Amino acid sequence: MSEANDTVSTLAASRLTLGYGRGRARRPVIAGLDLSLPPGRVTAIVGPNGCGKSTLLAGLARLHAPDGGAVLLDGHDIRRLPVREMARRLALLPQEAQAPEGLTVAELIRFGRQPHQRLFQQWSARDRRIVDEALTAADLHELADRPLEAMSGGQRQRAWIAMAIAQQTPLLLLDEPTAALDLGHQLEVFELLRGLAATGKTLAMVVHDLASACRFADYLVAMKEGAIVAAGAPREVVTQQLVRDLYGVECTLLEDPITGSPVLTGLRALK
Amino acid sequence: MTCSADRDGVPAPAGFRRLGGVVCGREYSLLIDRRAALANLLLLAAVLLVAVLALSLCSITLSPRQALAGLFGTGEAIHVFVVQELRLVRLMAGLATGAAFSLAGCLMQTVARNRLATPGIIGIDNGATAFAVASVVGLGVGLAPPPMALAGAATATVVTFALACDVGTRGYRFIVAGIGVGAVFGALTQLLMMRVAIDVANAAYPWTVGSLNARNSEALRWLLIGLLPGFAVALRLARALTILRFSDAIARGLGYRASACRHAALALSVTLTALAVAVAGPVGLVALIGPEMARRLSSPRGVPLTAAMLAGALLMTLADLVGRLLLAPIEVPVGIVTAIVGAPLLLWMLLRPEARLT
Repeated sequence: MSEANDTVSTLAASRLTLGYGRGRARRPVIAGLDLSLPPGRVTAIVGPNGCGKSTLLAGLARLHAPDGGAVLLDGHDIRRLPVREMARRLALLPQEAQAPEGLTVAELIRFGRQPHQRLFQQWSARDRRIVDEALTAADLHELADRPLEAMSGGQRQRAWIAMAIAQQTPLLLLDEPTAALDLGHQLEVFELLRGLAATGKTLAMVVHDLASACRFADYLVAMKEGAIVAAGAPREVVTQQLVRDLYGVECTLLEDPITGSPVLTGLRALK
Repeated sequence: MTCSADRDGVPAPAGFRRLGGVVCGREYSLLIDRRAALANLLLLAAVLLVAVLALSLCSITLSPRQALAGLFGTGEAIHVFVVQELRLVRLMAGLATGAAFSLAGCLMQTVARNRLATPGIIGIDNGATAFAVASVVGLGVGLAPPPMALAGAATATVVTFALACDVGTRGYRFIVAGIGVGAVFGALTQLLMMRVAIDVANAAYPWTVGSLNARNSEALRWLLIGLLPGFAVALRLARALTILRFSDAIARGLGYRASACRHAALALSVTLTALAVAVAGPVGLVALIGPEMARRLSSPRGVPLTAAMLAGALLMTLADLVGRLLLAPIEVPVGIVTAIVGAPLLLWMLLRPEARLT
């Protein structure tokens, strides 16, 4: 098998319809959505609560079966891919992931090797090297043998991301990777994710906070009521009108003098 | 990371021993969890010790040497008779039911991600018992206790899950539904016992408290036949179950078919429980204490399936031995001994919030 990390993978949704409920009560949350993640970039999916952004991410990761349309991984319908094969190409970090008690950081990261291991091939030199690299990438070497419960929120989230790194997939999907983290820990996590994109991985994340999305994403997908209302580079798509449409919030937009990304100020709720 | 390297030079992760090499031109490598291996060895030694005691002690006391000689047919005729004809079957029944209950409990706790979710607590034992008793009191159903117990356990499971609406609920809805279902089946058993002649009710009585005294040798054969492949299937599921402890989303993300694993583990748990109930009645607390003991002794890195089985076999045999000796010549049924030990443990688990989740 080739080094998965060297290849670029594409993930796209085509006429994707996702819904909840059973039988007649089933109603679509997302209907006929088209989206293509730009390879090697960080995509942020933003929108108000209940707009379907987490549902979309679950659909892209095959956690949620489509009612219509398809998700295409390198042009192939993901429903036809064996789950293990998919786990070698796409890693997923759900929101507020929980681990069983008593695991250490290194033990958690080792689980990322599962899709590459077999019943009688449980630990190779390659597994060891990759876990080591994941520890380095997430700057967790000193904490490797410490229990996960003893980590701060940011360290723990970095350990989870390191597990996804050890999975060696070209694609990584994250649902609110910085939920419940303070400012410093948010930055730690976003900077780690930017570093991963710099190595050629394609990332997509649901982000609660529009300001962080503007600051750390290359590509912004703005959703409202299950549909994409704007998609593109943050500085091109974020406008006063968009913020008003999405959140019902009036604001003034400035340009960050350091990064050039849009900054929202003077926020006030529309009556 | 602290490491130890084996022959082909790949260092194992901390706490593991790696066995690696080449067989038929294919490389293989296995990781052995040192702590889990040690726990299994300790438990196995304890099981063997209690087994010898169980063969030696009772109304006729033999020395361990006499008991072993009897077991292998080399001792005095009376010892051979006492051990092989009287005590061995009971010992086998204790070991097998304990192992089955405890493995079933460990599987279900893992699938439900809740330490309280054992088959006994969510009503499966009672379902199996009600149907087994129905078969014994002759309700016009011509099936032996084991298939009836299976039918009862399956019925209780289906009703519980239908009420809880979800296979993988983490919350207490599933457990509360199960307690209700268990109560209904418990009442059904009582009703059946009330409506039949006293001697028939007496024949069915051991099932209602849980006892190894009246075990049925056909039911024991069913259990032994089910236990071996059941254990093999459980071991095959072990890796998936380890990941399933996180969440379904993470299991899917790491390449496991979460719901297929969950259903397989659940079906296995229900089957083992039913087969064990057909032999010994509802001794469900073993399913709570056995896995808890296994988790304490074994490593947190995996699901302690083997340790749970050994701990269950140990507890059941020990409880039966205590029950036989405590008020001799009166015999305290094993179900009552485990209830006396298990009930305080259950309360402690309920009161300690961190113990709720695996």
